[in-house]
Amino acid sequence: MKRISTESSPGRKKLSETEFKKRVFAYTAILPVILIFGFVRIVPIFQNFLYSFFQSTIGNPLQQFIGFTNFKDLFADDLFVLSLRNTTYFAVFVTLFSVAFAVLLAALLSTRSKASALYETIYFLPVITPMVPVAVVWKWIYDPTYGLLNYVLSWVGIEPIGWLVFPNTAMVAIIIMSVWKIVGYNMIIFLVGMRDIPESYIEAARIDGASTMQVFWRIIMPLLRPIMLFVLVISTINSYNVFTQVFIMTSGPQGAPGNAVRTIVFDIYENAFRYFRTGYAAAEAVVLFLIILALTLLQFGISGNKERREKRRLLRKGGLV
Amino acid sequence: MARKLCLVMFALLLVASMAFAGGAAETGGKETLSIWCGYPEMEAFYKYAAAEYQKTHPNVEFNIVTHPLREFEQKLSATIPSNTVADIIDVSVYANQKFIEAGFMPKMPANVDQFVKAPGRYSDFALKNNMYKGDVYGVPFFQGRTSLFYNTEMFAEAGLSGPPKTMSEMYEYAKKLAKYDAAGNLTRAGHSLRISGQGSGVAEKWWFVLYPMGGTIISEGKAPGTYHAGYNNDAGRNALKFYVDAVHKDNWDDHKIKHDAEAFQLGQAAMFFRESWVIGDTAAKAPNLKYDTALVPSDARWGRITNIQNLYVTKAAKNPDLAWDFVLFMVNDANQQWMLDNVGWLPARADVKLDEIIARKPQFKAFIASEPGYEEFGYIPIGPFDELMTRLAERLVTAFLDSSLVDNPAGIAKVISDAAAETNQILQRYNMFGE
Repeated sequence: MKRISTESSPGRKKLSETEFKKRVFAYTAILPVILIFGFVRIVPIFQNFLYSFFQSTIGNPLQQFIGFTNFKDLFADDLFVLSLRNTTYFAVFVTLFSVAFAVLLAALLSTRSKASALYETIYFLPVITPMVPVAVVWKWIYDPTYGLLNYVLSWVGIEPIGWLVFPNTAMVAIIIMSVWKIVGYNMIIFLVGMRDIPESYIEAARIDGASTMQVFWRIIMPLLRPIMLFVLVISTINSYNVFTQVFIMTSGPQGAPGNAVRTIVFDIYENAFRYFRTGYAAAEAVVLFLIILALTLLQFGISGNKERREKRRLLRKGGLV
Repeated sequence: MARKLCLVMFALLLVASMAFAGGAAETGGKETLSIWCGYPEMEAFYKYAAAEYQKTHPNVEFNIVTHPLREFEQKLSATIPSNTVADIIDVSVYANQKFIEAGFMPKMPANVDQFVKAPGRYSDFALKNNMYKGDVYGVPFFQGRTSLFYNTEMFAEAGLSGPPKTMSEMYEYAKKLAKYDAAGNLTRAGHSLRISGQGSGVAEKWWFVLYPMGGTIISEGKAPGTYHAGYNNDAGRNALKFYVDAVHKDNWDDHKIKHDAEAFQLGQAAMFFRESWVIGDTAAKAPNLKYDTALVPSDARWGRITNIQNLYVTKAAKNPDLAWDFVLFMVNDANQQWMLDNVGWLPARADVKLDEIIARKPQFKAFIASEPGYEEFGYIPIGPFDELMTRLAERLVTAFLDSSLVDNPAGIAKVISDAAAETNQILQRYNMFGE
C-alpha cells in the first residue's frame, strides 16, 4: 500500500492513505459545526468584550470609544450592585442546597432496587421540563389567594403568605423552585459516581468495622471529589446565569417585585434589549464572565489542594507507592 | 473520497435551503402578511379583518401572532434591529419611539400620510403625540383612554349613589367598599391599584393619580427638547402617600389579593382604573357583572391618560404596499366600529360614528366623554421615556411595600426625590435634561 507522509518530525508515525482520507473526511464533516459554533458562540464573546469599551446601541454598536467608563459606571450603579448581590445570594443557596439534596438522594438511591429507577425518573422529570412552563406553574403554586402552597399551609393554620409579593420571601421562593428544578440533574451525576465505586472498597471498610456514616464520609465522599467538583462548577455557572425563572415570576400585576429578585442576567437583558444600552450591558456580561471564571478557578484550586494534601498524607503513611 | 465530499456538500446545501425556506413571503402566487400585536384580545379583530380583506384579495394569507404586552415589547427589541420582525406591528408610540429614533422604522408612503393628516380624521393630540421630526410613522389605530370602572351592586350595598367625583372622595369610597374576613384579611379591595409587577405599568397607573394632583412624569424644560422630573413636588409626594395609606394605613388594597381586571371581574375589587378593552373582556368573562364607568376623579386638576396605539409597517415587510393597504383597510369606518363593538378598544379615528354602539353599551360613554376642563395627557414621544418609566416603577413597587412610609413625610419625600434624581440622570444621559 502506498504510504503518505504527513510527518513534520522523525518521531511521528506515517499515516496510511486510508487513514489520511478518513481524517480528511472527519475534519471536513466537522468543519461546518466548528464554523457555526465559532460564528454563534466564539465571535459574539469577542464582540462582547469589544463593545464593553464602547458607548453603543443595537443600531450602532461602535458609537464611541469610551475606555473603561462603562465598567466605572457599573460599580456606581445601585441596580447593578443590587443585581450582583442578589445573584450571589441566589447562586450560593441554590448550589449548596441542590448539591446537598442531590448527594442525599443519590446515596438513598445508589443501591439498586426495583423502585430506584422509578424514583430516578421522578426526580429527573423537572430537569427535562422546560423552564418557562415550570416557572408559570410555580407562579400559580405561590399565588397568595389561590396558590396550592398557601392552601396546604392553611391545613396547619398558617395564614396566606404573599410568596412572590414580598422581597424577603420572593428570593426564597425562586431559590426553592430552582433547587427543585436542578436537583435531579445533580443527583444523576452523583448516582453514576457512587455506582462506579467498586463494591470491594466498601466491603473492605465494613470488614474493618466502619459504620455506614464512616463509609459515606471516608470512602464514598473522597472518591466522589472529581464529580463533586464538576457538579459545583456547573451549578455555580448555571446559578450565576439565572434568568428565565426571574423573568417569568416578576411579570404581570401579581409578579414579584422586580428589584427584590433582580439578577445580573436580568439586568443585562433590560439594559441591552429594553433600553438599548448594549455597551453597558456588554460590560456587565464581562464582569459576570470574570466572576464565574474566578469562582471556577477557585473551586479547581480548592479541590486540587485537597487532593495534593490527601496524597501527601497517604505518602507520609506509606499508603501510596 | 470525492463521493463523500459531495455528500457533505449536499448535506450543507440541504441545511441552508431549509434554513432560508421560512423567509419567503410569496409562494405560488400567494402573498403572506404577518402581524404581531401585544394585546391578545385583538386577535379576534385581526382574524375578522383578515377574513373581510380576503373577500377582495383572495391571494393574501395572514399570519397573526399576539403576545402579552411586556413579552411583545421584549420581542420587538430583539426582532426589529435584526430585521426579523413581522410585516405589520401594532404598537404604542412609547414602545416604538426608540426604534423610530434609531432609524429602524420606515416612513409611511404619501397616500397613507395624506390619509392620516386629513383634517378632522384624528385629534390634534393623537397626531402631536405621534410625531417625530414632523413625520408620523404609524397609522393611529386605537386608543387606550382610562376611566374609572365601578361595581354598581357593591356601590348600592354600601349606600353610595354614584361614582366619586374627586380623588379624596374616591379614597373615602374605597374605605367603605373594602371587605375583610374574620381574621381581618382584606378580601375585597375598595379600589384595585397597581402596586406590583414588572415593567412601566406601575408608574403609568400611579400617573393616573399623580396627574389630577398636579404632577406629571416629566415636564418640559425651558430649552426646547429638554425635560425634567415633574413629580418632585407636593403632587408627587401626595400621590405616593395616597398609595402607601391605601395599602398600609387604611388597607383598602393589599399585595396579597388579586388585582386589575381579573379582580374586578371576580368581584374582588369594587373600583379600578383601566381602558375600554375591559368592557369587551368582561362581556366574555363575567357577563353578569353589574358595573358602570365614570370619568377619572379630579383633584387640583382633571384629566385622563390617552395612549395612542399605532399600526406600523416595518422594514422587514416583503411587500410594503400590500401591508400599508391592509393597514388602511383595518382603520376604515366599518372595522373601527367592529373593533369597539366586539373587542372594546376605542377607535383612534375622531371621525367615525360610534353613537349606535354607545347606545347599546353605555359603559363606553365615559371613554368618549369630553367635558370642559377634562384634559388629556399621554406618553411623551422621546426614546428614553420607557426607561425612565420602568426605573420609576421599580422604585414605586419598593415604596408601596414599605409600611414605614405611613405618616412619614420625610421618608416619602426621600423616595420621591431619589426617584426624580434618577429620572433626571437618565434624561442627562440622553442630553435631554433641562430645568
